[in-house]
Amino acid sequence: MAILLMLIPISLILLGLAVAAFVWAVKRGQFDDLDTPALDILEDNDRPAPPAGDTHARAADPGGRD
Amino acid sequence: MAATGTCHHCGEALPAQPHMAALGGSTHAFCCHGCAAAAEWIASADLDGYYRLRSANAARVGEALPDLAVWDRADVQAEHSRAIDGGREITLLTDGMRCAACAWLIDRALAREPGVIDCGANAVTGRIRIAWDPARTALSAPLQRLAMLGYRPYLAGSEAAERQRTGERRRWLLRLGIAGLGMLQAMMLAEALYLDFNSTMPVPTRDFFRWLTFLLCTPVVFYSGWPFLSGALRELRERRLGMDVLIASSTLLAYLASLVETIRGGPHVWYDAAVFLLLAARMLEQRARSVASAQVDALARARPAFATRERADGQREAVPLAALSVGDVACVAAGEAVPADGVLLGDGGDEAWFEEALLTGESAPVRKQPGEPVYAGTVCRERPARLRVTLTGTSTRLSQLARLVEQAQAHRPALARLADRIGSRFVLALLPVALVVFAGWWHYQPERALEVTLALLVISCPCALSLSVPAALATAHGALARIGLLAVRADAMDTLARATDIVFDKTGTLSDGRPVLAATQVLDPALDTAGALDIAAALERDSGHPLAAAFTRGDAAALGAARVEAVPGRGVQGVVDGRHWRLGRADFAAARQDDGALWLGDGQRAAARFVLEERARDDAAQALAALRAQGLRVHLASGDGEAAVRRMAATLGLDDAHARQSPEDKLALVRRLQAGGRVVAMVGDGLNDAPVLAGADVSIAMGEGASLAHRAADLVTTGGGLRRIPAAITLARATQRIIRQNLAWATGYNLLALPLAAAGWVTPWLAALGMALSSLIVTLNALRLARLKTPMEAP
Repeated sequence: MAILLMLIPISLILLGLAVAAFVWAVKRGQFDDLDTPALDILEDNDRPAPPAGDTHARAADPGGRD
Repeated sequence: MAATGTCHHCGEALPAQPHMAALGGSTHAFCCHGCAAAAEWIASADLDGYYRLRSANAARVGEALPDLAVWDRADVQAEHSRAIDGGREITLLTDGMRCAACAWLIDRALAREPGVIDCGANAVTGRIRIAWDPARTALSAPLQRLAMLGYRPYLAGSEAAERQRTGERRRWLLRLGIAGLGMLQAMMLAEALYLDFNSTMPVPTRDFFRWLTFLLCTPVVFYSGWPFLSGALRELRERRLGMDVLIASSTLLAYLASLVETIRGGPHVWYDAAVFLLLAARMLEQRARSVASAQVDALARARPAFATRERADGQREAVPLAALSVGDVACVAAGEAVPADGVLLGDGGDEAWFEEALLTGESAPVRKQPGEPVYAGTVCRERPARLRVTLTGTSTRLSQLARLVEQAQAHRPALARLADRIGSRFVLALLPVALVVFAGWWHYQPERALEVTLALLVISCPCALSLSVPAALATAHGALARIGLLAVRADAMDTLARATDIVFDKTGTLSDGRPVLAATQVLDPALDTAGALDIAAALERDSGHPLAAAFTRGDAAALGAARVEAVPGRGVQGVVDGRHWRLGRADFAAARQDDGALWLGDGQRAAARFVLEERARDDAAQALAALRAQGLRVHLASGDGEAAVRRMAATLGLDDAHARQSPEDKLALVRRLQAGGRVVAMVGDGLNDAPVLAGADVSIAMGEGASLAHRAADLVTTGGGLRRIPAAITLARATQRIIRQNLAWATGYNLLALPLAAAGWVTPWLAALGMALSSLIVTLNALRLARLKTPMEAP
């Protein structure tokens, strides 16, 4: 049972690390929104933005075709 | 064009003439310009992944976009934003964020706006954080993009309040996480102790394990459990026994008794008893509360954020509400809300009309003479007014009212209070029983007395009893929000389940509030049809009345109207092209007998007659059929003329329709039904519904309606569809059923366990297990509500 004397302190140290990591993550706001980041990886992030002039024209004249 | 199906963007039923737009090779139908424009922008920005990712429909964008220029004001930004590296940062509230895909879309859309450094949208709290570079863009530009996509920005609380809110959320999460991690380790050691059936473990090892468990449990009990402990202290100071006292005392009992046993080397410890499960209770409560706090935010949105102050030299300036102080002169434009309590200024002729429904529930405007008091939050009607400020900020009547609303929301529903009361009586009765049992065992077998009494106390902790109602309500509110309804009052679900009659308003409720011009008849030879329509459009343009939409045409700006004045219940008058015009009921506009049509005239002679028709919402017939199938009697009460109401009733197959109903008549109808022992639900929309909504047993306000009606209602829809009403009733009834099952189970469990424990047949660890299991069963039963199939999801 002497192995316990080593394993238990190790588990306590690991626990301390886990708590520290958790506190760090909460303080950094990692848990503020759990749903949105999950969607990020599903879509490419680096597609080029449309030319600004074009979108403004379309936004300003939305109902032109009906 | 067939008006079947729903809008591609917001999922609302399509109007007769939907807007069509070609996106990515296929043509889609939209309900309005706004939705079509949003979808076109999303497609052109290559963000159409949004439509694949979303799990809920977007909010309807609508035709008119808000004016966002106030956001660029330096004083607003000083209070609500803070300086960061290279720019400023602001947190704002928005409505219409319904699922994670909305947050995803907002993130992407804002990141592409020039001058935006960083942004983050949180779908859970409905908040958006934007960091922008003032040198490269005005704040209103990215906000314009948000509004165009259907997310209207609103001022959140001040910077400090926002920070406090985030801090609170994170602290709560830390408590939960620490409890989870601590319990994980404590359970591991406790497991070893439990599995030592034959006491073969050496005593030093056992004690070593016990002391370790003690160390691991201490932060859980005192850090994670602190909300219970402080709540219990508060309850004891107020001399009442509530849930917190129950939870705190059983936790402390298990903890301290275990400590005693550890020190004296007794046979059992109970460190692991239920701290984590009690925290689950806190978690559920927190969820219910976050729904409520979102509703308080909605109230905050209703308050005016800016005021117009008149300086000593007569110049007017717009100032944030906080800058207004006692003694200032404030100007209020017609249709605006009064920013602070004050006294009306002016001479004898300067009487003004104020709508005080928010404060008094009386919807008809009240006439005020100069010198009379006017109150913050009331709406100035017809004419602008000037007032000298007497009370500001938290001392206004409005703020007092808002505090009352917050108190009402903190109020637990009757059923939950009943469960609490049973719980605390139970505890009061339990203490003498425990004493008797202890005395009995002390007499009979003194070495087991402490153990048996502890088991008795732990197993009969009425946690399941007190969890049964909040767990069901929290799940039900979540499910309710998913089908597009927010419960503003805690008792709403309970009453909704018992409703026997449902009264609908017509305009904006059964119909979509967008009347269509059915016929135009020109009586004045000097006018043609188009001319008459232009005059009507100019008069109605800014009235905000549901009828106005019928006249809104592409070129409506061609004519301007001056001195436009709305005459409540009769119509509008004003000067167009130098002529005085009246538009409204026949007796007002053309001195004729009222026939339900809309007349244009100068007060004496008729110039044109418009026949307007309202169409029922596409899902109205379906919703009413579902309601009837649920055994409800459906009524229609409308302020409109006999013919229009009868036509609507015939279309929808309604048995009981009342026309020409004033707000008082509607209220009387509701009272008559209530006198007959019926439980009445009222579904309404317009301003003049507010008293009826308040008078009915339970009320539902349609989300598109005036914000005032929301404030009088128990439930507010977040979209226009009617199918969510039968869905909500199904859900409410299921909730009642689940609550009854939970209460029966929890009571039965406690009554059964008590004698067993008193007889000494239950060991403390079995007791802890029993308590945990009974709480778990109650919670799992409540979670069934989240999976309930409602007519909304399975049309």
